[in-house]
Amino acid sequence: MSDGPLIVQSDKTLLLEVDHERADECRKAIAPFAELERAPEHVHTYRVTPLALWNARAAGHDAEQVIDALIGFSRYPVPHALLVDIAETMARYGRLRLEKDPVNGLVLTSTDRAVLEEVLRSKKIQPMLGERLGADSVVVHPSDRGNVKQALLKLGWPAEDLAGYVDGEHHPIKLLEEGWGLRPYQREAADAFWNGGSGVVVLPCGAGKTIVGAAAMAHAQATTLILVTNTVSAHQWKTELIKRTSLTEDEIGEYSGSKKEIRPVTIATYQVMTTRRKGVYSHLELFDARDWGLIVYDEVHLLPAPIFRMTADLQARRRVGLTATLVREDGREGDVFSLIGPKRYDAPWKEMENQGWIAPADCVEVRVTLTDEERLAYAMAESEERYRFCATTPSKTQVTEALVRRHLGEQVLVIGQYIDQLDELGEHLNAPVIKGETRVKERERLYQAFRDKEIQVLVVSKVANFSIDLPEAAIAIQVSGTFGSRQEEAQRLGRVLRPKADGGGARFYTVVSRDTVDQEFAAHRQRFLAEQGYAYQIIDADDVHGGV
Amino acid sequence: MATMEFTEWIRGRTDEQLRALVSARPELITPVPAHLEGLASRAGSPSAVARVLDRLDRFTLAVVETLAVQDGPVSKGRLHELIRAALADQAAPTEADAAAPAGADPAALAGSDPEPALSAALGRLGELALVYGTDDALDLGPGVRKVLDDPAGLGPWAADAFRHHPPEQLDEMADDIAPGTQGSGKERLAAALARPAALVESVSAEARGALDQLAWGPPTGRVPNARREVRVASARSPIEELLARGLLAAVGEESVTLPREVGLWLRGGRVHRGLLAVPPPLEGATRDKDLADRTAAGQAFSFVRSVEELCERWSVEPPGVLRTGGLGVRDLKRTAAELDLPEWVAALVIEVAHAAGLIAAGGGVDGEWLPTSGYDLWRVRATADRWVALATTWLHMDRVPGLVGDRSAGARQERAGGAMPTSGEAGATIKRSDERDKALNALHTDLRRASAPGVRAATLGVLAAAPGLAPERDSVLERLAWEQPRRRGPLRERLTEFALREAEQVGVTGLGALSAHGRELIEGGDPAGVLAPLLPEPVDHVLLQADLTAVAPGPLTSELNRWMTLTADVESKGGATVYRFSEGSIRRALDAGHGGEELVSMLTRHSATPVPQALSYLVTDVARRHGRIRVGTASAYIRCDDPALLDQITADRRSTALRLRRLAPTVIASRSSRAALVDSLRAMGYAPVAESLDGDVIISQLDSRRAEGPAPVRTLSSPNGLDPEVAAAAVRALRAGDAAHLARREPVETPSGQVPRGPATATISALQEAIKQGVRVWIGYLDSQGNATSRILEPARMEGGYLTAYDETRAAVHRFALHRITGVAGV
Repeated sequence: MSDGPLIVQSDKTLLLEVDHERADECRKAIAPFAELERAPEHVHTYRVTPLALWNARAAGHDAEQVIDALIGFSRYPVPHALLVDIAETMARYGRLRLEKDPVNGLVLTSTDRAVLEEVLRSKKIQPMLGERLGADSVVVHPSDRGNVKQALLKLGWPAEDLAGYVDGEHHPIKLLEEGWGLRPYQREAADAFWNGGSGVVVLPCGAGKTIVGAAAMAHAQATTLILVTNTVSAHQWKTELIKRTSLTEDEIGEYSGSKKEIRPVTIATYQVMTTRRKGVYSHLELFDARDWGLIVYDEVHLLPAPIFRMTADLQARRRVGLTATLVREDGREGDVFSLIGPKRYDAPWKEMENQGWIAPADCVEVRVTLTDEERLAYAMAESEERYRFCATTPSKTQVTEALVRRHLGEQVLVIGQYIDQLDELGEHLNAPVIKGETRVKERERLYQAFRDKEIQVLVVSKVANFSIDLPEAAIAIQVSGTFGSRQEEAQRLGRVLRPKADGGGARFYTVVSRDTVDQEFAAHRQRFLAEQGYAYQIIDADDVHGGV
Repeated sequence: MATMEFTEWIRGRTDEQLRALVSARPELITPVPAHLEGLASRAGSPSAVARVLDRLDRFTLAVVETLAVQDGPVSKGRLHELIRAALADQAAPTEADAAAPAGADPAALAGSDPEPALSAALGRLGELALVYGTDDALDLGPGVRKVLDDPAGLGPWAADAFRHHPPEQLDEMADDIAPGTQGSGKERLAAALARPAALVESVSAEARGALDQLAWGPPTGRVPNARREVRVASARSPIEELLARGLLAAVGEESVTLPREVGLWLRGGRVHRGLLAVPPPLEGATRDKDLADRTAAGQAFSFVRSVEELCERWSVEPPGVLRTGGLGVRDLKRTAAELDLPEWVAALVIEVAHAAGLIAAGGGVDGEWLPTSGYDLWRVRATADRWVALATTWLHMDRVPGLVGDRSAGARQERAGGAMPTSGEAGATIKRSDERDKALNALHTDLRRASAPGVRAATLGVLAAAPGLAPERDSVLERLAWEQPRRRGPLRERLTEFALREAEQVGVTGLGALSAHGRELIEGGDPAGVLAPLLPEPVDHVLLQADLTAVAPGPLTSELNRWMTLTADVESKGGATVYRFSEGSIRRALDAGHGGEELVSMLTRHSATPVPQALSYLVTDVARRHGRIRVGTASAYIRCDDPALLDQITADRRSTALRLRRLAPTVIASRSSRAALVDSLRAMGYAPVAESLDGDVIISQLDSRRAEGPAPVRTLSSPNGLDPEVAAAAVRALRAGDAAHLARREPVETPSGQVPRGPATATISALQEAIKQGVRVWIGYLDSQGNATSRILEPARMEGGYLTAYDETRAAVHRFALHRITGVAGV
């Protein structure tokens, strides 16, 4: 019996014992073809998916390497069926290829005629294909390049895209590494993306994804379109790019609700891109406004459906997606991969923390026991009102106030879902509130004041879930959320993960009403982070009041 | 007469040879015939001959076929020539397409001399009593020719082929092809066809083509209006040319056959072509032995686990037994999903568990599939032993799980369509018409195929012959076709495929190659001993993690396993098991009667790591709320505003029978009915008034249910042929019977010159004499059914109207009623 660190399960998950002496070696060996699914403290779970296997093939690994790695590190015999399945799955990749033909443009060719015939019979694919050029190839409409790839992936015959990318309009961009340096993982991520052509980079919040975007632009040396979630984020990108690269303010345009600038580097919000006038997406032409050489999708896990469709048409351009949490509650992770590109880089949160790139964080769940009157009221609430009720109880407000008092002198963010609750908290805590109706100018003023430590407590709604850079925030208190959203929880934790100037840790409180749906949602919300190895400590509200 | 010669030849065999014969052909002694003549005639019966021919390999069968196409006995030298000409490496004189079978390497066989193989084959055929005689005149045993229709794909002799033709027509044909000869039409025709060279050469190219098509069999073809009368001069089509010359004989309204003489001539005098004296080599990937063994062991382990999980699940939620017997399609699907196995594997697990007596139909009127008490015994054994029990069952069971889901009509057709249905396959099931076209269910009686164990053994035998090799399917089929050429057909091919894929699932093979423990299993060694060190060691701890999962890094000890299954849901299976704790799973454990603190301490004890806070909170949270509200049933209650009076009632000894329970100071619940309670209280001297009802606490526990009585013991065919002791006893009995048989024909001196009737003094005195002298005697005996039989006895004593004697015919001591002994004779 060998004593490997890996246990291969029949459902294609791989369990890696972290404390094993060969764990690191094994992690490196399986990383190319297995997705890290969960990374709690002792045993990490990887999953071998067809997508991951095909990505491995695309990256030049063959089935034999994969099987050798599994057998070499496995503690127990590897199920034969699984090995056969891996070999068969990997063999499916590359039977079909998208190539550029000097005469006919984009063509789909096959080394296996039977596969091509099978694919041609698919009703979904037929309309995207043009004239048959012979036994082994068929013309593909260039605008359907993405759709064809997506549909082929669904059929289980992924196409190897050899058609290449357009270079786009050249524009010099250089990283200015003055007083800072590209971190090793940022460089690796940017290089991995560039070598792969297109793809998604997954890095924890606070690990500097913007820098990775900038490094990608420096690779491309071309005009770039950056899509971000909101205007504040667009401004941050702009500031960051001016600071980190050779780009000047004049070279960077903002394309948002208020401004419509198109410059060599243009930052647009998802919102404006998906605005419809008379049922037509009126800002679509932005994609064709310049010969973009690179498109950056920030927070790609939020990519709205219309942009998915537009992206399908942009397959000839290089694309990079950035995210911290590639979990979509709508389960469209697969679409992200097929349209933007495969995952090119992934770093577990805890590993980043160990290396000091993000602040170490304690997650604390504060359990509030409802008073008897509150319980009675909760029991009588309408079912659709129940979550709102238990998430906004006065007991919670009291606990939150106690927590803020406890961290007097530190930069504290209070995050919630319900405006009434936030207003009330703002009043009690004597703190400004940022919510959807707060104007962009005012928001930026408040954020700046918070950064400058003029304000120590800031109450924010979900507008601050993403992309808001508040380096000195050390404490976040979550009072309510969007039901059981896992990525929201992670993003909110992300607000406090920027490494602190004093090297201190961060703390994330989530206040939960005991024995209510709030507690159930909280358990679901915590799953992503728990799987990333963040162990929630549970304390009782009484302990907070008691000042422990 | 051949039969007599054969009988004498049998009689002349040594005891050892006879033992070999009955060991190889056990059907000859089931039941033991009375004497050797009976044995000889049984050996020539069509069914017995067909059975033994089925066991011959391609080469040996070719020897039989070669003998069968001869008119009478031939010498070994002649046989050698014929076989040599048929070998694969001999250039075909007339046939360009006589290609060697794929996979055979002609170079390896070039110039080989079949002599050793031929001698071995003849030795074996002699042992089987299929061929007898001396090297100068070898002949087939009686009945063999009859069973082999179209031996080697050759048609009947001309004399037979034209038997039913009208003599006038034969005369005309003879006149056409052999003018000027003498004799009857048939004789002249046969004589002409014996040297058909000129005749064949006189036909057109198309006609020659048709002949060549039939040359290597099958020898019959279909043509419309086969019996038409044609003359050489008037023949218009190629077929008519052939019919007119007698090169084809009409054997039916629409079928013609090639006379054997013509066939042999077309084959250049050879009986076979492309014959291989040794089995074709196996092809496939070579496997590292250790890796294959480990993989097989891993699979063996998960197979045992699947069976265990199946039984555990079915003990709680047993599926119903269908009206027609078997397991419903939906239940199979559900079970497959629960076990996380493909459906066909789930069917295999279920069938093996059933055949091993671990599950059986039981419980209630409608019937449910439940684990048996045998399962409880099986469960506590070591994993390796449990596997051996399952694997042995799989090897010998006559059920074919692979057929689950087949349409029953299709299955029947397949049986009928098998090239040569053997006695075992034919008539395996009788179907009612209303079940036609229904998909076959798991556990249904229709899944039985008598040939299945044989195919499994043969398939594994092929694997055993190639250690470290994972032969391809086609290669195995080809090899089996050589080893058992008469046993072919679509069903057997499917059974072979099933055997291969099931062997992998059961863990007999690993990566397609026979494992070390698999070899021990089929060779009757010590599979458990070989397997045990390869199995993962059970672990007695789990790793608890903050995301509310637990990982068991190996198989858990039985107790911990049950415990974990109770408190957590299984998320992923394999070498390790991943469990997830949830509110529901914790509640399940609490429902089963465990306390919250007990759970936490159990977790602490069995965790290699500290218990995460999130988990202990989950447990305490659920435990805190668990059981705060309690629900129960009571048939009646006693209510009284005065607690002192209730104290008095509970304290009263007479109230114990009422099974009272004090729920509150002023309330007592009882399980007796209201009326009974009122009556009892009255009897105790109180004055209760009836009222209407409410509650107390019982702990709910999942009941593990069992089928009643032991599972039906299935008779499984013996794995390694006949027990040598049985064979020896049979031969002993045959010899004795034969002696008796011969003795009866020429009775030795009897007191009155004739066998006396009744328990006469003569009988008794003869027996007494025999006892005194210790000699054997022959007796006539009427058995309890009144049949007259004869026995050879060694009398021991005589008392109370009974004779106690060693019965040689049956190799046992028996008691015989004196009044039934019809006569005594010395032997």
